Amino acid sequence: MSFHPSLFSRFASRSFAAGLAALVLVPLAWSLFGAIAAAWDLAAWQALLTQPQLQTALGLSLWTGLASSALAWAGAAVLLSGRWGSKVPAMLALPHAAFAIGVVLLVSPSGWFLRLGANLWGGVGGVGLESPPDWPTTQDPWGIGLIVVLALKEMVFLLWMGLAVLQRPDFSRRLRLEMQLAQTMGYSERAAWWRVGWPQLSSRLVAPLGAVLAYSVSVVDVALVIGPTAPPTLGVLAWQWLQDADPKTQAQGAAAAWLLLAVSALVVAGVVFIHRAVFKPWARARLTRGAAPLTAQEHHTLALRQPKAAAWALLAVYSAVGLALGLASVTGVWLFPALWPQTWTPGAWAAVASDGDTLWSSVWLGLLSASAATVWVLLVWEWWPLRWRRDVRGAMLLALIFLPLLLPAALWALGLHRLALEWGWDASASGVWLAHTLSVVPYVALALYGPLQGFDPRLRAVVATLGHGRWAFVWRVQWPLLRGAIAAAFAVGFAVSVAQYLPTLYVGAGRFDTVTTQAVALSSGGQRSLMAAYAALQWVLPVVVFALAAWVGRARRFGSVGFQAGPAAELG
Amino acid sequence: MSLHIHLQSLRTPSRVLLENLTLEVPAGTVHTVMGPSGSGKSSLLAAVCGTLDAGLQFAGRITLNGLRIDNLPTPARRVGLLLQDDLLFAHMTVQENLLFAVPKGPKAQRHGHVMQALIDIEMQDFSDADPATLSGGQRARVALARALLAQPQALLLDEPFSKLDMRLRERMRALVFGAIAKRGIAALLVTHDSADIANPRQCTHA
Repeated sequence: MSFHPSLFSRFASRSFAAGLAALVLVPLAWSLFGAIAAAWDLAAWQALLTQPQLQTALGLSLWTGLASSALAWAGAAVLLSGRWGSKVPAMLALPHAAFAIGVVLLVSPSGWFLRLGANLWGGVGGVGLESPPDWPTTQDPWGIGLIVVLALKEMVFLLWMGLAVLQRPDFSRRLRLEMQLAQTMGYSERAAWWRVGWPQLSSRLVAPLGAVLAYSVSVVDVALVIGPTAPPTLGVLAWQWLQDADPKTQAQGAAAAWLLLAVSALVVAGVVFIHRAVFKPWARARLTRGAAPLTAQEHHTLALRQPKAAAWALLAVYSAVGLALGLASVTGVWLFPALWPQTWTPGAWAAVASDGDTLWSSVWLGLLSASAATVWVLLVWEWWPLRWRRDVRGAMLLALIFLPLLLPAALWALGLHRLALEWGWDASASGVWLAHTLSVVPYVALALYGPLQGFDPRLRAVVATLGHGRWAFVWRVQWPLLRGAIAAAFAVGFAVSVAQYLPTLYVGAGRFDTVTTQAVALSSGGQRSLMAAYAALQWVLPVVVFALAAWVGRARRFGSVGFQAGPAAELG
Repeated sequence: MSLHIHLQSLRTPSRVLLENLTLEVPAGTVHTVMGPSGSGKSSLLAAVCGTLDAGLQFAGRITLNGLRIDNLPTPARRVGLLLQDDLLFAHMTVQENLLFAVPKGPKAQRHGHVMQALIDIEMQDFSDADPATLSGGQRARVALARALLAQPQALLLDEPFSKLDMRLRERMRALVFGAIAKRGIAALLVTHDSADIANPRQCTHA
């Protein structure tokens, strides 16, 4: 809605909107341009295409990315059918690298699962185990470990995105009524969900699925921890080449990152095409097959069994990972195949405590980048004129904001590095902060987009007719009503910042240690308890912020009144 | 206090919704606008209110008590709004919802206005209540009180009774029309229900 401001105030408002957008979009576009320029080297492409590892590495990237995304999609669909989401923030808060480290602690040859097997059955597969076997249970050449970790992490992301859509008042109210209507036509609750609810919801999850695919195909930190090594995935290979001292190898790394981008774009386009050309017609054909008669008991059990079991399984895995991290962080001597350590030691935590700078870097980077990103998204949303939102300017704004989600991690880090170098911010705290903020913005925007778009626009008109201007609307009505969503978006931003690995390492030139850079660096060494302590911190920090966000965003409690109204107290 | 609307056209980029319409709404009366869905009734109210969607264009002149208002920002127009949904602010108590609408002034005076408004709508026991705990009729009355506390010179009513049951609708209609007459406000009512027509001679079909 427009509120008839004068020409001058309209000009001032639009200039402010453009300037505000430029604050983030200029460095963002600069980074993207830097990433593009890095691939402008024909010799690098020729060198890349002659690499013997290329074909296998690219195949592994595609296989792990596609398989993990498909599993994540299927799992999220089942979980969403039960509208289950009470523990999602805690699981979302666990960074990918920390989750991968926890899984390694569980399934590695000296991990807890094999110890459990050895103790329960005196061995696994009838083979007595006196020492950790030489089995490829982590960093397996087929990428199974990487697929499992990515699937379980991205499942939670898709679940969170789906719940955000389901919690929109306009969508949820309509969906609930449509589901009730379908049940009056003889469909079970489960059938009503799959035929009426899921087709509508899944259409809104195609864009997040694209982000999941692009991320999974090109992921670096998780693949470093649990992915194949000979050869690794193309994302890891590109990252290794980019870190080389030889400029030619660096250029080859940039070309590899660009190849990954092209492949990711093709994969995303292919999935969108399949969704439209295959899934939708198939779903439409299913919709009209008619309802199968079910008993009341079947209605109930079929509706609840699958999502409940999936939710419990997911919770069990995340709990096991958390326990593994906690346990490993205080482990002293732990001979195989003993189920529990022979000695316990707080040494790793003492070492973490003595390295206060690392912890502090993670905290201040997370707080400042999440604050900057949240404030920026809210202000741009408010000041970006409605007319601009509906034309090409709105589309360009959204494309630029969300583009980093589709970029391979190595390419994005490369662009950020170029930006920091050209602005003279490399190896500085401000440069790392900028890199974190630019990486956090898409996720905060994603978290706030639904609540802001679903906000009833008529409230703005009501506030204006009560004699108040824009700031009163924003400060006293919109932001307080969206307090929970804003606090959650901040927590998501904080978690994303804490999880940043490549941007911190690259832009900070190795001078800024965070809990994530430490955990990933230690994952390739022998300091198991220190690695576990840092990985546990990677989880604890965001969980604390998510808990604070839940407290800040809690619904207001109103005082009791003389008597409460209800239908019987209707006074007309 | 009278509201005068001289509308040359109200249009989307592709379609004319309304054209060549002149309405004169004397103080203390309700002028009803009826018509099929999509005929531009609610857009007419938005034009008076100054909240037209970006895609709609209004050409004409709107005056309130002789003052041209169509070029003023919405908060300066002194036009109140009551919609089909009450749109009470969910994070505020009933009292805070009402205080939000009272113009700036001494605190005691503002609270006095709110208490009087609560008495007028027979809800003095509900000042600290959560709006979500109120019934539909109670919420509608709070919304009316809130709109009136902003001291509007004109009131725009967009099907404000349509969600109420028959008994409540009649009582609410009497309450709204009574307040309009008592305060001498010019009101424009958009409705599908012919029972809402306050005066058949003050009715326009869009």
